[in-house]
Amino acid sequence: MQISAGAALLTGVHLPKTARAESGGSLSTLIDLSLCDGCADRKIPACVQACRNINRDKIPPVVDNIPEPWPRKTIEDWSKKRDVFHRLTPYNYIYVHRADVVVNGHSRTVFVPRRCMHCDNPACATICPFSANHKNTNGAVVINPNQCFGGAKCRDVCPWEIPQRQSGVGIYLHVLPGLMGNGVMYKCDLCNDRLVQGKQPGCIEACPRGAMLIGPKKEMEAEAQARAGKINGHIYGQKENGGTATLYVSPVPFEQLNQTMVRKPGQPDMKPGVPRRMAATDPLGKAVLASPVVGLALAGAAGWYSRRRKNNRRQEEDRD
Amino acid sequence: MTEKILSEKNRVVRHNAIELIEHWAIALSGLVLLLTGIFELPVAKRYYIVTVPGLGWSADFITSLSLHYAAALVFTVAGIFHLVYHGLRGETGLLPKKGDLSASVTVVKSLFGFGQEPPMHKYLPEQRLAYAGMAWIILLLVVSGLIKTYKNLYAPDLSLAVVLAATWIHNISFVLFFLAFLAHMAAILLRPNWPMVRGIFTGKVRLDYARHRHALWIADLEKNKKVVDP
Repeated sequence: MQISAGAALLTGVHLPKTARAESGGSLSTLIDLSLCDGCADRKIPACVQACRNINRDKIPPVVDNIPEPWPRKTIEDWSKKRDVFHRLTPYNYIYVHRADVVVNGHSRTVFVPRRCMHCDNPACATICPFSANHKNTNGAVVINPNQCFGGAKCRDVCPWEIPQRQSGVGIYLHVLPGLMGNGVMYKCDLCNDRLVQGKQPGCIEACPRGAMLIGPKKEMEAEAQARAGKINGHIYGQKENGGTATLYVSPVPFEQLNQTMVRKPGQPDMKPGVPRRMAATDPLGKAVLASPVVGLALAGAAGWYSRRRKNNRRQEEDRD
Repeated sequence: MTEKILSEKNRVVRHNAIELIEHWAIALSGLVLLLTGIFELPVAKRYYIVTVPGLGWSADFITSLSLHYAAALVFTVAGIFHLVYHGLRGETGLLPKKGDLSASVTVVKSLFGFGQEPPMHKYLPEQRLAYAGMAWIILLLVVSGLIKTYKNLYAPDLSLAVVLAATWIHNISFVLFFLAFLAHMAAILLRPNWPMVRGIFTGKVRLDYARHRHALWIADLEKNKKVVDP
């Protein structure tokens, strides 16, 4: 029943032409946790496998001797652990968390695919010092591996610490590898290249239960509300970090799911209502945007005052 | 307080209060911008700056951004005020003049003991050139910074070409601003320039110094009867 409902909706929500990467129209994805079964019959969930297949050759060969950063000597090398699929790594952009919870006295297992949320105003992109990370008009937040120095600032400012670093690759090797940069950051890019071609992201296309959807943001928001309403469920991602392009619908409260998630590197938690920290800087940012007008007004006022003083002095001198 | 000779005190008023406020607003906010701009790069943890007492906040990019915005507010207001206020008053003494480049070479050579300095106005020729350079750098910083701020607030999906242009103009002019700041400090280290340092704190310089080095300026002041005799 659930499968057919999911499949019907999947076919019902086509990826519209406007959803193509750069032609305008912000997209959103919906992950229906009431449908996801974590692909219990497979070694690797279908969404994870599809993502790995698509991105298999994304990272170029890592140099044999990764330069040791100075003075903090942190090297993050996943090139020999490419098989890891139960957490986020530079080689694995989605994983499925298993949450065993008790709801109304009944044990229940919920599977939660985790990946980049593609936030509406992503600090990872907006304050990247080299603008190597950028939010596209279709909503996909994409890191350009050719411009990224791997400083991991994006990971620090992400509430879920999603981007993962691979040392020993990227542009920093050609600049000052010991002193500046430390690799390239990698994460889900919502299969932006596939979106450009009018295709769906690999994880969504591969899901055998139709638990994931993609479509225009407004439609997905309405769909999430409708689904949550039907199951008396809950939504995650609509308000978190100021809003995201990933909406989870769950029959279990996210507070409860979050309790099953111990935050570790590459394994984010799911704290409901996590704030957008950069919002605290918005009032000052607005004041900065107004500052040219303030400068002009002050200059005009000071100019008028000094002219008035000069005229008064001249009149006094004339009287004398 | 306008330019005038205070013979009894052996002083000349070189800068008025507005000029001093402008200078220090731009200088101090510029220093905060340099520091917090550096902290917008992922350096504080890597270089253990975060362990320096008082700099525990340096690895928090959001705190640095708040301070960066606060300083940018002062910097931009002071910069625009300076441009418009003095522009309206027709005060162009700091703008480069024809022949400043060759005159600067003569002055710099004289600082190192080669040849004599020519008689000079209120500002030295290399000061006028440095001013023009700094003004361009500040203009680039302000315009690119405003674009980046707008993107942060309202348009995270602004055109990538615009974002990249603003980012790289901001980054390159940041380096130029830092170099210009170092050059400015280096100029202070030169002994002949020492008497001018007092001027940027108090607005006044020694009259005997000014007569010797800024003869054309003093002649102008005397000609225009800007002298307060005992």
